[in-house]
Amino acid sequence: MSHASHTPLPTGAQARPFLELRNIHKRFGGVHALRGVSFSIAAGEAYHLLGENGCGKSTVIKIMSGAHAPDEGEIVLEGRSFRALNPIQSLAAGIETVYQDLSLLPNLTVAENVALNEQLVASGGRLARLFDRARLKRTAEAALDVVGLPTAPAYLSTIVSDLPLAQRQLVAIARAIATRAKMVIMDEPTTSLTRREVDNLIAVVERLRSEGVAVLFVTHKLDECYRIGGHAIVFRDGQCVAQGPLADYSKHRLTELMTGRTIDSKRYRTGAPRAEELFAADGLSLPPSFANVSFSVRHGEILGITGLADSGRNELATAIAGVTPASVGRIRIDGKVERIGHPAHAIRLGIGYVPEDRLGEGLFLDKSIFENEIALVVSDLANAVGIVDKTKGRALAGKIAQDMHLNTRDIDLPVGALSGGNQQRVLIGRWLSINPRLLLLHGPTVGVDVGSKDTIYRLVQQLAEAGMGLVIISDDLPELLQNCDRILVMNAGSIVAEFDARATDEEQLYQAMLTSRSDLATEAAR
Amino acid sequence: MSALHLHDIPAKPSRRSAFIDLVSRRPEIITLAILLAICVAVSIINPAFLQPSSLVDIGRASVVMGLFALGVFIILAAGGIDVSFTAIAAFTMYSMTLLVKDHVPDMPIALVLLLAMAGGALLGVVNGLLVHHLRVPSLIVTIGTQYLFRGILLAFIGTVWIMSLPPQMGAFGRMPLFQFESGDGRTITLPFYFLVLPAAALLTWWILNRTLMGRAIFALGGNASVAERLGYSLKTIHIFLFAYAGALAGLAGIIHTAANRQANPFDLVGSEINVIAAVVLGGARITGGTGSVIGTLLGVLLIVVVNSVLVMVGIPSTWQRVVVGTFILLAAGFFVFCQKKNG
Repeated sequence: MSHASHTPLPTGAQARPFLELRNIHKRFGGVHALRGVSFSIAAGEAYHLLGENGCGKSTVIKIMSGAHAPDEGEIVLEGRSFRALNPIQSLAAGIETVYQDLSLLPNLTVAENVALNEQLVASGGRLARLFDRARLKRTAEAALDVVGLPTAPAYLSTIVSDLPLAQRQLVAIARAIATRAKMVIMDEPTTSLTRREVDNLIAVVERLRSEGVAVLFVTHKLDECYRIGGHAIVFRDGQCVAQGPLADYSKHRLTELMTGRTIDSKRYRTGAPRAEELFAADGLSLPPSFANVSFSVRHGEILGITGLADSGRNELATAIAGVTPASVGRIRIDGKVERIGHPAHAIRLGIGYVPEDRLGEGLFLDKSIFENEIALVVSDLANAVGIVDKTKGRALAGKIAQDMHLNTRDIDLPVGALSGGNQQRVLIGRWLSINPRLLLLHGPTVGVDVGSKDTIYRLVQQLAEAGMGLVIISDDLPELLQNCDRILVMNAGSIVAEFDARATDEEQLYQAMLTSRSDLATEAAR
Repeated sequence: MSALHLHDIPAKPSRRSAFIDLVSRRPEIITLAILLAICVAVSIINPAFLQPSSLVDIGRASVVMGLFALGVFIILAAGGIDVSFTAIAAFTMYSMTLLVKDHVPDMPIALVLLLAMAGGALLGVVNGLLVHHLRVPSLIVTIGTQYLFRGILLAFIGTVWIMSLPPQMGAFGRMPLFQFESGDGRTITLPFYFLVLPAAALLTWWILNRTLMGRAIFALGGNASVAERLGYSLKTIHIFLFAYAGALAGLAGIIHTAANRQANPFDLVGSEINVIAAVVLGGARITGGTGSVIGTLLGVLLIVVVNSVLVMVGIPSTWQRVVVGTFILLAAGFFVFCQKKNG
């Protein structure tokens, strides 16, 4: 295996493209999701498919992976023309997709998740075949090695649901390359990863490209696109509005192309916190996640908390929300000592928590916007015999929908029909229905498009102006720098640094996040 | 050899005790432990339990339930559930008995068994097609087909008990695998048909662990939409699953008839919950995707032992249900406890 991190990559300009889409149209009922999309993918190149939620990115991925058939147009795969692909054809041609949900089978082992599909594709999808365990092991070992995961038998036989999220991401990528992929599509691969894990992912991508594999990223994170390099393919409203080398486009220009309007990356925070303390945590511990964490939030203050995924920041957030209460320590709200042992305590104390995983922990996707918005106040809306006052509830939900700038006025629409950005606004809106004093926002813009980000940031600032305290837990560093007053950095379960957001930069924050545990120990010993 | 060095990922995620780890991976260990505990306790209270005659009784009583349980397990592994298998068994055993008795009296027993399995498989295919095309949970579909199959049996085929079986079926029920004299001079027989259970268990184990179909069944049980996206044909899997379970049910029906030396069309239906309980006690999660053949057999043994030994230690047989219910709650609670420790 070559150590090919920085060798020049084939340009692919003269070669025949691996895959070409020509004038693809797709309609879903009345929605014209793709309107004549054309682009081509060359071997060994990296591409970034950019665009806001709902612009047709996922549809085009599904057409390439064989999940959807286009209504019009042509798919040219290594010179052969197709009207449509089915999943096995697409896989057999070497097109592999790492879906945002990873599409892993939680009850099977690492080896099976990585290498079983290779045997399925080899058999052409026929199931009346022997299952070759020696081949499974060989394939899995080779693929795991490429992505830098262990190949020990104990790891191969680990059940995937026992793995941390970042490793599951790599397992999904390992599956993609186990079938001798020629093109790997990664749908928002970095949303759940910290920077260190992103670095590793980038190294994996370099290695794939050096072996002639084309990589197509679907992402919202423009900074990462530039770090990876390659070509941009920009979608807006089901059309391809630009394609070419990333270097030809500034970040500003790409944003403009995606949204069709100008959005600047200025600092949103203009206000200042008030003097009185709203919330104080004193010596919170929850072994082994975090220990002896103390901080305070003032009225109208926006506090950022960041750190690597295993730094304890996630557990700290859920501890304050009462989901996984801290075992030691005190919490004061407006100077009064309070106990938070359950989410209901936190809600009663006016602490709102917008979770990171808005699908898993927050929203009822098949329920309407109205029902989602009133979920927290439903008992307040009920009369003595438990009948909910729908008129009052609808008025409240309608007002929230308006305040949140949802792109629909129809509050009976199921939340599942909304884009990621709008779903996030529904979730934040729900918490506003309890008039929280302190709002914890966990990864508020994960998987959210640029336009929605802007709306969410403006809202956060308005809430702070109104005197609410906000805590943003995020690894999107520009987001923290643009919105917060102060930023705390967690590392190995402790707060290791505090920065004034106006006087710091990504580099400083990143350094504090990365300082290794052993360095910390030596510093402490001094 | 790798160009990359990921921050030291341990080969095994730790954070939990070896025991919890073992039990969450192999929950049937708990089933085995309960089974052994009962056997030890019972043999202390009543040493007669350890006599070969009672062991043979347990073995004989396990066959029909074991065959049913293997079918339920393979469907449970794929994330579905089947409650129509008893109706399939009753349907095939009664129709076959009538067919042999009235029309083809000299059909060899091997052909009887084969036809019963084919008939069961055919009814299973109906289940599979309905589950796949209606996109309705298999519980609902099989409740419907249970009524349907049983209704057709009673309305169109017959309601009369057949007390005298065709001779080859009676002979099959009596054919001994081995025989011996017990202490009190009775002849104890382990019937030949007992062999069907280990054979079916071995086949089921082989399909699940050594064929792509077997892995596909677990993949479907893990997450159906992901399995579909990865290129597994859900239709093929559904049809195979229910046909296989149907074939086992057909076989179990004939054995049930041959062992009881009569064919009662009202028989069998109603015992579904007992079988599903055995499979769940064997460590298969009702939500699908887990479990093992050996666990299923242990679950069956546990229920059969409870049913047959309570009498030996002087507990009225009406208490069986209380005991089985308690075990199910305890085992389920314990499995959940292990999962929590895991997370």
